[in-house]
Amino acid sequence: MTVTFGLLAVSSYVLWRRKAGWGWSLVMAALVLGIIIFTRDVDFSAKLGLQL
Amino acid sequence: MLNFAGMTAMIGILLGAYVYQFSYRELPCTLCLLQRAAMVGIAFGAAMNVRLGPDPRHYGVCLVSAMFGLAISIRQTLLHINPFFDTQTAQPTLEATANPPFGESVMGFNLYVWGVVIFGTVILAVGITQLFRGQFEPRKTEPEWLGRLASTGVAMLFVVAALLTVTTFMECGFGDCPNDGSWNWWIFR
Repeated sequence: MTVTFGLLAVSSYVLWRRKAGWGWSLVMAALVLGIIIFTRDVDFSAKLGLQL
Repeated sequence: MLNFAGMTAMIGILLGAYVYQFSYRELPCTLCLLQRAAMVGIAFGAAMNVRLGPDPRHYGVCLVSAMFGLAISIRQTLLHINPFFDTQTAQPTLEATANPPFGESVMGFNLYVWGVVIFGTVILAVGITQLFRGQFEPRKTEPEWLGRLASTGVAMLFVVAALLTVTTFMECGFGDCPNDGSWNWWIFR
């Protein structure tokens, strides 16, 4: 989670100081990291009682 | 201006969550933190529009972030919607307290239910904004005060994102954030 927010902070910084448009790719990397954390946390079959 | 309003709204919500967190002394769970990350993503998309001019790619960042946040908030709402289901044992129980809501409610809703409303509203707002094609045409030089305002807004976004990085590190380190309520946050010891 810390790395996710770190990527978001760096992308905000480059947008603020350097007006750099490539910061969006860091945001996407942060979201991909978030999706990985999310899918690890979900554990659909055990926690929701679903039979997938 | 609409994008600036959207960006400041997201920053306001994130700061509000901080006030809530410190006033109730409630540490955010993993899903709560992921929703905050999605809100920063939405604010970043809006900030790109403010700083670099409207572009479909910037709205794309908002939409992807909002869909991500919506999936998480729906998941968390579903987790707590049935009090007779114990998520720890993944078994139904006879006690309604097996799966209580997470945290205090705000204006009748828990924060993750507000998340569903907010992320859904963002998707709707971005969709409506796309109907106005004039925004994508080349613009004349914008006034200096508007540039300064945009810069201040993006600086605020950076401060919030940096703050979130620091507090998340204090809470979770570089590993997973535990969900059992016994978090090792030295501030509240």
